[in-house]
Amino acid sequence: MKQLRRSKINWAPYIFISPFFVLFCVFGIYPILYSITTSFFDWKLIGTSAPKFVGLGNYINVLTIDPFFWKALLNTVVLLIFGSLLQHFIAIPLAILINSHAIKRKEFFKTTFFLPYITSTVSVVIIFGMLFDTNYGLVNWIISLFSDGENIRWMQEASGIKIVLSIILNWKFIGWNMVIYLAGLQAIPYELYEAAMIDGASTFRKHISITLPQLLPIIFFGVALSIIGGMQVFEEPFILTGGYDNLGGAENSGLTAAYYLMFTAFKAYRLGKGSAIAWLLFLVIIILNGINRKVTQKLQG
Amino acid sequence: MKPTRLLVILLITILAFGAVSCAKEADSAATFDPTVPYTVTIGAYGDLEKAYSAVFASADFKAKFPNVTIQFQTSDFGGHHNRLTTVLAANEQANDIEALEVGFIAQFVETGGLTDLNAAPFNAKKVSGDIVKFAMANATTTKDNLIAMPVDIAPAVLFYREDLARNAGANLDNLASWDEYIEVMKKLADPANGVYAIEHPAAVQAIPLNGGKGGWMDNGKPLEPKAKFLDALKLVQKVKAANVDGDLGAWSGPWSQAYLDGKVATIVNGAWFGGTLRTWLSPEPGKWRVAYLPGKMMASLGGTYLSIPATTPEDRKLVAWEIIKYLTTSSNAQLITFREIDAFPALTSVYKDPVMDEDVAFYGGQKVRKIFADVALNIPENKVTEYDNVILSIWNGSVTAVVNGTSTPEEAYDEALTKVKATIF
Repeated sequence: MKQLRRSKINWAPYIFISPFFVLFCVFGIYPILYSITTSFFDWKLIGTSAPKFVGLGNYINVLTIDPFFWKALLNTVVLLIFGSLLQHFIAIPLAILINSHAIKRKEFFKTTFFLPYITSTVSVVIIFGMLFDTNYGLVNWIISLFSDGENIRWMQEASGIKIVLSIILNWKFIGWNMVIYLAGLQAIPYELYEAAMIDGASTFRKHISITLPQLLPIIFFGVALSIIGGMQVFEEPFILTGGYDNLGGAENSGLTAAYYLMFTAFKAYRLGKGSAIAWLLFLVIIILNGINRKVTQKLQG
Repeated sequence: MKPTRLLVILLITILAFGAVSCAKEADSAATFDPTVPYTVTIGAYGDLEKAYSAVFASADFKAKFPNVTIQFQTSDFGGHHNRLTTVLAANEQANDIEALEVGFIAQFVETGGLTDLNAAPFNAKKVSGDIVKFAMANATTTKDNLIAMPVDIAPAVLFYREDLARNAGANLDNLASWDEYIEVMKKLADPANGVYAIEHPAAVQAIPLNGGKGGWMDNGKPLEPKAKFLDALKLVQKVKAANVDGDLGAWSGPWSQAYLDGKVATIVNGAWFGGTLRTWLSPEPGKWRVAYLPGKMMASLGGTYLSIPATTPEDRKLVAWEIIKYLTTSSNAQLITFREIDAFPALTSVYKDPVMDEDVAFYGGQKVRKIFADVALNIPENKVTEYDNVILSIWNGSVTAVVNGTSTPEEAYDEALTKVKATIF
């Protein structure tokens, strides 16, 4: 009887959807669980010495005596604010502008603003490095037209590195956020604007009272993506400051949490400590997104 | 014949036969068979493939190894070492032979993953007598295991533009000290015409530290002896204060352009940099000369090693070893490699070859190879450790702090030491 019941199960749908679950388990769940395990071991990536269980040792090391972790985290938060979050104040007005009837050839502008996002990060950073070069850079040349001072050492000074990185991040992701907000704007019912118009509301008033409140879920989504991406920023500072050999350049100013994570795991070859940093970073991202959610909920009333 | 005696004779015969066949088996396992066709894979970086391909195309190699075919897996410098590290960490099979730059060899010296070439059947000691001692020491563990054979080294010298030196009335040959070098650089620098005496103040810091290749720890203590490291930072500070540098980041676009424009008068670097000048940065012959480092300091700035990963099957290790032996201990291979990519031979017997005494047209007919060879023979031994790369990264931050004037040499040293201790212990 049991066998008969079993034979009635239609396996076909399960088999059809199984490739995703198999791949997700192998390449998603398994590495995540493995990295949790790894974080409890003193595990050197090279050599034949066996991993040694150290419990929370790696976490304690990172949080208490490590000379770079807190610096890297602070750098990441600064870049998150100036490189990833402030750009929303540019992306939203830009999306409103492109969404307005006054702008023709919308597709052209959408494509143009989106292009930096799909451009190779390596190429972008190398070109920005040239633009901000002390002696030969275009930026210093332009500044020299208006000022007689010494050339700014953008990539050699701690503050210069952060400014250049913030500019790169803004340049690269404003278009991306703009497209997200554009999609959100198109979902706002036009009747709301018509009603406001009848009430005699100005354009600015309409956007403050209709656009922004209606866009809040999208802003939450965009900011959440920025937090996740911003806290994991790696390629830009890594290439701009010369890779593992320089650890973020002057005063480790370009050293981000993900950069330090990679350094620890793949340059210092301490896989356990690297995994611990990854999980701490994950926790920070969760906390920041929690704050984002609370703020959004409060604004939504 | 008594049955017992017959049994004893039979037993002795069987044992003797067994011993002979065992010996034969052991012998065959320990010998490279020139009649069996082999394909050997080599993991390489940069232009090593170019040099070794020329070696393998030579008549001498073909006559000695008619049965060996070589396949390369070449990547860029970083990509090659990342791949190798990952493959060895995963205990997966790598190429039969893997090239390693001296900066990376330290990571494998005490941590395993590569075959001990001093052990039988390789017995590297029997053939490595003529290889420069410091390079052999770098690849030897505290247990006397040899994890790779040095194939080329980079004796450090001072390259300078003869035309710029002549115009400035500066003499860069036989500089007695770094202070004298700085004084000469002041003559060479010509800000009005955009001529820099040196690319960057940080370019000199590595020289007193043997190019950052080893010597970072002394008996387990990082950045000791303190005076050596402090002197390196003070030197950086002096060069910066002299205001003779171009503030050019090595290998950046503006850096290469400055060389192409003939705006950099001197550079301290390994012999291999001559190849970079000749083929890329300053191809016009006759412009550059070579001098000893100030104070006739002897240092090495790079070098390549060839290793056999532990995961390589035993039978392939034998043929891999024969190829490594040929590349590292045959004059033919060493000279071809030098000619092709300016990688200076690690094999000292080659230094007596007439080619070392030849005038080199690129250096205006100067016999530069004699200088390279003299430096090579006098480079001191520096112990490498698995922490070298991490210490170097932290150290570079301290050098930048001194260049930027945000720290004094003493402060920068103390900060580096604190960070190194907290990171590696």
